[in-house]
Amino acid sequence: MGFFVDSVNILLPAFYFVVVWTYGKAFFGDIVWAKVTKSHLLISTVSLHFLYLLARAIEFNHPPVTTIFEILSVLAFCVAIAYLIIEIRSKSGETGYFILNIAFFFQFVSSAFIRDLLEVPEILRSNFFGLHVGAALLGYAAITISAVYGFLYLMLYHQIKASNFGMIYAKLPNLETLERMSYTAFKMAFVFLGVAIFVGFLWLPQTFLDVSYSDPKLVGTILLWLLYGIGIAAKRLGEWRGRKVMILSVWGFGITIFSMTVVNIFFSGFHNFY
Amino acid sequence: MNLLCLSISHHTAPLEVRERLWFSADEIRSFLPTLREHLHIDAAMFSTCNRTELYAFSSDERPLEFDRLRNLLVEGKSARDIPVDSFRFLTGVDAVDHLFRVASGIDSLVIGDVQILAQVKEGLLLAQEAGTSGFLLTKLFHAALRTGKRARHETRIGEGAVSVSYAAVELAEKIFDELREKTALVIGAGEMAQLTAKHLRGKQIGTLHITNRTPERSKHLAAMVGATVIPYEEFKNHLGGIDIVIASVAAEEYVLTAPMLAEINKRRTAGALFLIDIGVPRNIDPAVRKLENVFLYDLDSLNGLVHENEAKRRNEVPRVTRIVAEEQSEFTVWVSGLHATPTIAALTDLIESIRKEEVEKNINRFDPRDRELVDLVTKRIINKILHTPIVNLKNGSDESHSERLHTISALRKLFGIDGEKDAEHEA
Repeated sequence: MGFFVDSVNILLPAFYFVVVWTYGKAFFGDIVWAKVTKSHLLISTVSLHFLYLLARAIEFNHPPVTTIFEILSVLAFCVAIAYLIIEIRSKSGETGYFILNIAFFFQFVSSAFIRDLLEVPEILRSNFFGLHVGAALLGYAAITISAVYGFLYLMLYHQIKASNFGMIYAKLPNLETLERMSYTAFKMAFVFLGVAIFVGFLWLPQTFLDVSYSDPKLVGTILLWLLYGIGIAAKRLGEWRGRKVMILSVWGFGITIFSMTVVNIFFSGFHNFY
Repeated sequence: MNLLCLSISHHTAPLEVRERLWFSADEIRSFLPTLREHLHIDAAMFSTCNRTELYAFSSDERPLEFDRLRNLLVEGKSARDIPVDSFRFLTGVDAVDHLFRVASGIDSLVIGDVQILAQVKEGLLLAQEAGTSGFLLTKLFHAALRTGKRARHETRIGEGAVSVSYAAVELAEKIFDELREKTALVIGAGEMAQLTAKHLRGKQIGTLHITNRTPERSKHLAAMVGATVIPYEEFKNHLGGIDIVIASVAAEEYVLTAPMLAEINKRRTAGALFLIDIGVPRNIDPAVRKLENVFLYDLDSLNGLVHENEAKRRNEVPRVTRIVAEEQSEFTVWVSGLHATPTIAALTDLIESIRKEEVEKNINRFDPRDRELVDLVTKRIINKILHTPIVNLKNGSDESHSERLHTISALRKLFGIDGEKDAEHEA
């Protein structure tokens, strides 16, 4: 089992690279074999990734969400599988190259720095912890997908405005579709982050005596959640539409990455109290 | 292959000549039997605003005479004075190649023209109705239709709008997801406005309004495209609920100004506002481009899109040419197999190989003294079975040439000789 985990840990970034490269060939080069094989490659990679996470959980006897690098791998998996569902449902694979690049990046960083953690605090085996982290991860995956679609929307928006009818114009779905995809993920991010924060508030004080409400991760996530809430309210009230909401989704992703990076650099755990 | 093509097109003649040789469907229906009566040929033709094409196949060993065919064509339209060099005259493989190029859209005035395939199909249907299509021409047209379909499916020859009015609608589709949920307003009732309104209706736009200074013209266009009329004095009050505006009126000043649209845009709660200005002088203030979620296109930007699409289509021509060459080669191989002699040889070889294989497989079951006899007897059986079909194929019995080709083709298909392709089915 250990050999399998170690081998797949090395192989997964390579698999994601091949998937991204194939999606790129299909999008930019219009290559027939790439169009035919890209989805099969993605399904194979996602399946392998699932087996890897399962094997990791069995081998180390804890869910693979105890370190930032384990979380990045789960996040890569969530992004890839969420995209796969979108592709199957919308029968459109044009945006895969852009989304899966993120999954590749997350998995690459994870594979490069992940360490085998045999002993984890008992606290990390709690159901509340699972719910808290699971909801947060789904929220982050939704933030990522929303941001990528938001970014594609902004690219296409500017190309159409500038009468630049190049490859992006020809191959991407229309603006309304991109906006709808981004906004759906945007709303999901708000809901999942809300659940993660709510569970965190209920569970953390019972578990950690030295819990701090000034924890930068906590503050950052609440601010992000509020920002998404403001975006949804503004859109529903008709104050914001199109471009503004898409800009917010891209900023949301930027803030998330910044917050994760800062916490990881300056603190040993995911929160400053853990 | 005694196949001939007589073509007059934008390559060979100006519009004033081409229009004199334009045939309606009824004219084609009555002209084709005349051709058969005079020249004893199978014939099919189609006529569009850019070309009139006549394909003829003769079972006669003597080659078809171009002049006789041309004379009948021009006499039918009282156009004897049209000079000979207005026509292209192609025979055999060149005629096949020409039809395949036409069907694939690379010979059209607008490269990748999507309508030509339907016109080729109509040409075949008219010939079938007139009873002049014949076996070989039917197969030829089916192969041409297959070539056209392959060109459209396997390349991008038909992609991208190549007219300003259609480019406007295509742009709208790049902004909006479902046009059937959108509302469009056409300001003006001129030719461009009409064309764009028709394209929008063709794309199932949800609601279509027309407004024009002359109410009668508005009503006329509205009736034509299934739209509602908004009085010209009131149309600005409706802009809050409009998603697409097409402006094409003759006006000295901007019909839609930037401050006016800025105010409307502020009040809008729905998605983007898409403005098409095809008026000369322009009807919409170009400053509205700066407004968020407002997209404005004028004739220049639409022409830019059209030119880019044309260039992309031209880049696809080599790929289409390869498809044409493949299909042409396949068709000529198929035709060359339709002669009786190679078919008889192929059939005899096939049956003999089956006989030989079975004899070799079972020969050890026989006494060594009988083995030569087994070989002889099986050969005799085969010869007797094949005798009548071979004689009929050689003599052609009482069949017409077209029927004979059909028989040979059916025979090749039944026995799987040369992997006979069912062109009819595929087309």
